[in-house]
Amino acid sequence: MPFTIRVVLILLFTALFQYSNAQTRRTVNGNITDSKTGETLIGASVKLTGSTPAGGITNAYGFYSLNVSDGNYEISVSFIGYKTIVKKMEITKDIRLNFALEEDNQLDEVVISATKKNENVSSPQMGLQKINVREINNVPVLLGERDVLKTLQLLPGIKSAGEGNSGFYVRGGSTDQNLILLDEAPVYNASHLLGFFSTFNSDAIKDVSVYKGGMPAQYGGRLASVLDIKMNDGNRKEFTAEGGIGLISSRLKVEGPIVKDKGSFMVSARRTYMDAFFKLSSDSSINRNTLYFYDINAKANYQLDDKNTLYLSGYFGRDKLGLAKTFGFNWGNATVTLRWNHLYSNKLFSNTSLIYSNYNYVIQNFMEENNFEVNSSIKDFNLKQDFEYSLSNDHHLKFGLNVIRHTIAPGKLTADARSSVNETTYENRKGLESAVYISDEWAVNEKLNLVYGLRLSAFSLLGPGNFKTYDADGNTIQTKAYASGDFVKNYLNLEPRFSASYQLNPASSLKGAYTRNIQNIHLMSNSTSTSPTDLYIMNSNNVKPEIADQAALGYFRNFNEDKYEFSAEVYYKWMQNQIEYRSGTDLRGNGNVEADLLYGDGRAYGIELFLKKRFGKFNGWIGYTYSRTERQFDAINEGKWFYAKQDRTHDLSLVGIYKAGPRWTFSSVFVYNTGNAVTYPSGKYQLNGRTVFYYKEKNGYRTPAYHRLDVSATLEGKPGKKLQSSWSFGIYNLYNRQNAFSIDFKDDPDDKTRTQVTRTTLFGIIPSVTWNFKF
Amino acid sequence: MKRMNLKKYTRCVFAIIAVSAFSACEKVIDLKLDEAVPVIVIDGGISDLNENHIIKISKTYNFTEPNKFNGVSKASIVLKADGKVQAAFVETLPGVYQTTTKFKGKSGVRYDLAVTFEGKTYEASSVMPARVILDALTFKTFNFFGGNKSYIVANFSDPAGVANQYRYILRTKGVVEEDAVSEDRFNDGNKVENVIFYELDDLLKGDSVHVEFQCIDRNVYRYFYSLGQNSGQGGPPVSPANPPSNFSNGALGVFNAHTSSSRTAVIK
Repeated sequence: MPFTIRVVLILLFTALFQYSNAQTRRTVNGNITDSKTGETLIGASVKLTGSTPAGGITNAYGFYSLNVSDGNYEISVSFIGYKTIVKKMEITKDIRLNFALEEDNQLDEVVISATKKNENVSSPQMGLQKINVREINNVPVLLGERDVLKTLQLLPGIKSAGEGNSGFYVRGGSTDQNLILLDEAPVYNASHLLGFFSTFNSDAIKDVSVYKGGMPAQYGGRLASVLDIKMNDGNRKEFTAEGGIGLISSRLKVEGPIVKDKGSFMVSARRTYMDAFFKLSSDSSINRNTLYFYDINAKANYQLDDKNTLYLSGYFGRDKLGLAKTFGFNWGNATVTLRWNHLYSNKLFSNTSLIYSNYNYVIQNFMEENNFEVNSSIKDFNLKQDFEYSLSNDHHLKFGLNVIRHTIAPGKLTADARSSVNETTYENRKGLESAVYISDEWAVNEKLNLVYGLRLSAFSLLGPGNFKTYDADGNTIQTKAYASGDFVKNYLNLEPRFSASYQLNPASSLKGAYTRNIQNIHLMSNSTSTSPTDLYIMNSNNVKPEIADQAALGYFRNFNEDKYEFSAEVYYKWMQNQIEYRSGTDLRGNGNVEADLLYGDGRAYGIELFLKKRFGKFNGWIGYTYSRTERQFDAINEGKWFYAKQDRTHDLSLVGIYKAGPRWTFSSVFVYNTGNAVTYPSGKYQLNGRTVFYYKEKNGYRTPAYHRLDVSATLEGKPGKKLQSSWSFGIYNLYNRQNAFSIDFKDDPDDKTRTQVTRTTLFGIIPSVTWNFKF
Repeated sequence: MKRMNLKKYTRCVFAIIAVSAFSACEKVIDLKLDEAVPVIVIDGGISDLNENHIIKISKTYNFTEPNKFNGVSKASIVLKADGKVQAAFVETLPGVYQTTTKFKGKSGVRYDLAVTFEGKTYEASSVMPARVILDALTFKTFNFFGGNKSYIVANFSDPAGVANQYRYILRTKGVVEEDAVSEDRFNDGNKVENVIFYELDDLLKGDSVHVEFQCIDRNVYRYFYSLGQNSGQGGPPVSPANPPSNFSNGALGVFNAHTSSSRTAVIK
């Protein structure tokens, strides 16, 4: 799209030119924090009313920066769930103003000030959904395990990858097309227990944003979405502990100051104990099994001075599964992020991040004659440098660079001398993914706001190793050896990003966005659900970067003094270099997996409607999505377009939360969606005396429609005590709907002359109870 | 081997989660399925045994009909060995075609099969691999979640330095109960003990289990591997598709030139 690139460049030059002519301005900047805990607040709004009005919101570190000319101003600072601060002052020089906001527990009595509660309407950002972490606590979930990813799936445009599954599909993308960031570190496998729980312990989480489109230029690397999760920094004022005891897991979080008001730490951990029940069994085939997961989130920060703050955060999680003394299987992520916030000047904010991310799995077979161990990993070292620069009051620049070094160890098979298994090591693959970006948020006038930017992304596949090139049928046409540090293949792409909002009146706006996204690392999974052993591959001689172009239009409107928010977005997405497999592809320990890949196109479109009641005794939302997503591969389905497996026509979610009094909160979730596109038989035949099914076309059928109602109730302990506790009671699938987890076709076991269709339901009605505490 | 174990893991994880949820259940349901236009299916093989080799030709039929061999008559078949016509076929039962003479297929020979039916010709070729014999059948018991399960183990010596693919056809009382394949990617050149995951626990003392062990070529392996993926056999389910046939012109099925050696075990 050279046209969009040209437009972005012209706008950027204009902005810089304007800057050179700009008059003297004063900079007002500072941090906004929670008065009780000292936690920085992300997305809090600051508004200056006076001779040159200005407004903005705090960034990921709770920092804001505004430019105004000399004069008298009324400064108003607000954030949802907090009491608004209003202050009058004269500004005659650059000034640092930090604010500590007081939490407002009476959500329903919040005086809605006219300041910035309409951020959703006025911001040019679209395709963005934010989750209030407090909301998560009240939404009913499977087995009482609060889960960010499952709550996200209740928003329009974000679909669950299956019953109880924390995997999700965004606007027709697959699960590996979501960039999942935890304190900026990419998380490769964001689920526990084959997807039933996400790796995100909601105790440790401060802010959750998901971009379904219109991704700002600082994000890149995945096609469909960016899920940006920020961990809590820790209480800077006092030590506190909180936790919970549930049916299948327990959690504990401890936080407190390192040096009061200067630095703090937070450690949060949880572990499941499903296998503790196995131990109760007297059957040795049961009580010797292991099945659990744990995760630990830890973070510390220290403010060196007004201009420098350091943050260190980490996540460590692992699933362990052991079947008696026969098999062992464990997998998990580790991420570490070291960050340095620095203020170069009143106008230039900088963040430097060093990030390490590692996902690996180990499979062990202890059977003497076949013993083996498989190790596989993906490891990233990542450097990010981000700048935010207030060019003028109308232009806020963001620019930076990012370099990631990927190392993928597809598999190392080891075995001892007794084993019939041969030791094998598949060559490691190394890649360098780098990007530079610039974007500008431009308030053109009172009504028109733009965010536009460019991201230049490069990918290099590095030696050492033997690299094969395949023809269209998967035959090797060339094998070439490369030395360490050699560049095997390079790809360079420009990704224009553009979004605009036009405010029709204070309560409504129109928005539009165009985004190009590039993906250089791809998850190989031919199963219908994700598995911990799914393999990552990078661009190569054969695999090209995936490309998605998305255009979206939206109408945003708030009602009743911003009490209700409504949005309607339509999108169309075109995808290139999508990946599928030839049938019969074996992904395990397959050094030549690229020979089995097929490349094609994709398209997705839809409309998403969202209505939310934001305040009051009763709040909640309705989300509805109508969508289509299709793929086309020359070698699949006779080259005809087919529905992707994540295609669902209708998707509806209703969430209601009712605060019945100071102690009781009731909530309920209802979901309905059309079944996924799926391949079922259209006939059968016999081969070697056994029944084999005939498939007429790919994904030509639908699984039965899915619907479910969950309810929960939370009882808070009596207020005023040192130990605060609460009980959560929940019922998942209240009316015991038998939703299909899988549909199987087979010979009738009682009458082998017939075939039958069976439906497996995983979760019928399931009650849960959790006790939470805090002191 | 590795493949089967992985499937076991996943099956167990699902089982454990299901048990923990107290409520997983399986139910027979009615589902409306399309009635597709019938498609030709060719299922045939040439073995290295001295026998009349059989090619079965049938058509697909609707899911709701009783299981049957839906044979089609009056097909003409030409079999060539390394380019020379090898044998003539005669139809003995509807859809069942058999060579008029007995002969042994030879390892290293490329067999080409051409089937002409209703004016269309379907061609496939398969190279008979070198022979590996099944040394013995043994039993193995696993202490899996919820109790003991017994299985048959195929014992053989894999030749080193070549890629081998094997197929195991397990029959009890003359009925095919399991039809699985493996390859030597992880155990080339070793003594192999491969578990055939058919549960023997329903069998009685004195029942016999017959295992035919075939050496098959790469394309045939891929066909049966894909077939196994479709039927799920407990592993993470893949999106099913017709297995990649070695026949041209859209015929289903496979043409398999293979070596064959068999053993029988008796349940004690």
